[in-house]
Amino acid sequence: MGYRAENLLRLAKSAAPTLLGFLGVFLLALPFRFFEGWAPTPIIPLVVVFFWSIYGPDLLPSVSVFFIGLLQDLLMGGPIGLWAVVYLIAQLIVLSQRSYFIGREQRVVWIGFALAAATSSLMLWLVMSLMSGVLLPVVPLALQMVATVMIYPLFAAVFSELHRRVLVEA
Amino acid sequence: MEFLGQDRREGLGRRSNSRFILILLILVSILLLLSSLYSAQASVFKKAREGVIDAASPVLEFIAGPIASVNELFGYVSDYFRVLEQNEALRQENAELRQWMEEALELRSVVAAYEGLQTYKAPLEAKPIDAFVIGEANDAFARSMIVNAGRGSNVETGQAVVDQNGLVGRIVDTGVNASRVLLLTDIQSRVPVYVENADIEGILVGNTRDKPVISITAGPEEAAAQPGQRVLTSGAGGALPRGLPVGTVHRQAGDDIVIGLYANYARTRMVRIINYEFPSVDAPSGDALPIAADEGDPAPAEG
Repeated sequence: MGYRAENLLRLAKSAAPTLLGFLGVFLLALPFRFFEGWAPTPIIPLVVVFFWSIYGPDLLPSVSVFFIGLLQDLLMGGPIGLWAVVYLIAQLIVLSQRSYFIGREQRVVWIGFALAAATSSLMLWLVMSLMSGVLLPVVPLALQMVATVMIYPLFAAVFSELHRRVLVEA
Repeated sequence: MEFLGQDRREGLGRRSNSRFILILLILVSILLLLSSLYSAQASVFKKAREGVIDAASPVLEFIAGPIASVNELFGYVSDYFRVLEQNEALRQENAELRQWMEEALELRSVVAAYEGLQTYKAPLEAKPIDAFVIGEANDAFARSMIVNAGRGSNVETGQAVVDQNGLVGRIVDTGVNASRVLLLTDIQSRVPVYVENADIEGILVGNTRDKPVISITAGPEEAAAQPGQRVLTSGAGGALPRGLPVGTVHRQAGDDIVIGLYANYARTRMVRIINYEFPSVDAPSGDALPIAADEGDPAPAEG
């Protein structure tokens, strides 16, 4: 009797990180203009990809990451595949360093995230500059990435609660 | 508690397998990226974008209202600190506008007199479509907005979007209920403009900065624009109507004329999409060629 409900629950649990990623993309499309547009919207999907690539890669397969990036490209109207590449390469890097991050203090992981964000920014800037044929201004991107790095501890705390109490617990 | 993931359960299972898929997907994405470079307007990509806008628009529309009020609460902090200053400026502007109003009323009567003449032919009326901004690309490089009007209300790709200040951008993707406006600051934005009283025609090129730049296409040998001169759409190419206010000349650096836009993207909430049809030369109705019809003998060499 409870078999189906259990299955559904398991499905919801395993889909949760992916859905959070989609939600983060959606957040980027909302017309937030705090302080006359000077407060950039943090890139939550990057946090989601980073966090679950370390602590639960089985819950966030590469296919999910690909579709999170693709959705962002489609919703932002930018070149298609750009954010998908950025998130996937971030996942690739994080997975390769996973054994280092696992069990570390959150401070260390935070620095890791800052490095991942910096790498992603560099990649974004290079690709966009190549595609548009001019060197693009770096300040808006840097501000957005700084905002993302600043909010990382907050979201990581929430995500780890979710991860430990809900997703991994049977 | 800070040491997450020491559990065996979260161990490194199925690594080699997923690594293969990961690299495969990276290659797929790069392929997509390269193909979107060569066919940015490819129909598949365009359809996908429009579908996503359409799917997202009901939720965006639902949330956009509350967000706007939150923005107004927290957003315009500088307003609180500059109330007196702004009041003074507004009063001055009001006085100036009153003078303009007098002049406009006078001109209106003059125009009405001309329109009363028999030979006058009214130009085609534009049918503007009003819409709200419900979404925005909060992206460092992509500058666009999503508005809640689409093909369902006759919005078409390429149409101009204005707000109370001036030109906002152009429609690039149209879903059924929502469309995307490419802002003038986007790296892909190209709008034909001219500088008033300066004899300069050019293309306004977005560069993700707040102030886009005119690249001059026609003008005097040493084109010189004075700061403060108005910049309007030139209508070249026929995509946009002529004479929409875009901004003012900010400064000139060599061949580049930097433009301060009239539009304030941090405050754009309601926009008007201008449903403009370029007057076709060979319209079957004959209305489009009033002069030729009146003179009875059109030049055959032009056919």
